[in-house]
Amino acid sequence: MKFTPDDPLIWSIRTFIYEHFVATTEAPTVLIIADRFALTVDEATAVLTALHEQHALFLEAERPVIRIANPFSAVPTDFVTEVAGKRYWANCAWDSLGIIVATGARSASVDAHCTGDDQPLRVVVANGEVVDNGALAHVLVPFRHWYDDMVFT
Amino acid sequence: MQWQADKPHQGEVLALPTLWSLSQAWYHDRLSPTYRSRTVAQVEAIFESLGLTSDFWRLGYAADIPQK
Repeated sequence: MKFTPDDPLIWSIRTFIYEHFVATTEAPTVLIIADRFALTVDEATAVLTALHEQHALFLEAERPVIRIANPFSAVPTDFVTEVAGKRYWANCAWDSLGIIVATGARSASVDAHCTGDDQPLRVVVANGEVVDNGALAHVLVPFRHWYDDMVFT
Repeated sequence: MQWQADKPHQGEVLALPTLWSLSQAWYHDRLSPTYRSRTVAQVEAIFESLGLTSDFWRLGYAADIPQK
């Protein structure tokens, strides 16, 4: 069983996955997706695989488990974004701000640590703008190598 | 991408306002039902609009790969 990129169902499920992240801070399981869309587990797995192949999300290796739906992370990370009382895991510094943008929040914060000195770092967004505290973001991986290892990127 | 106290020896460094602008350009429509993975050309256009024009931000071999 395989779903193609032009199948509307996979994009409807993508929308549901993001709505689930926003509402619960967690990724839906394949069982939740299958139940919501009246699919078999095999069909829901095939949809997730199709979305993974489109880089619309990223699955755990060899398992139909959502790991990343940028900017959201389904696993704990050192990049925590708080929006409207909910705490989301982001994949990196960029994505920690991306969660604020994607959710349309005008007030939010990010808690993380600086690499090297391991000091806690807080970034604040107020009235729809980031408050510049002098923080620097280090991008380690060149664009052309992003997909060599997406989790590391 | 990680937060950094000092300038590192490799990779690129973005000041917080630039990273915020990049996040806005990249993620403003991410929750839209009509959002689709970007092409490499679309990604490079975003980078260029923010002045990210060094080789670091350029395409290598990944021309046909849809972007995150």
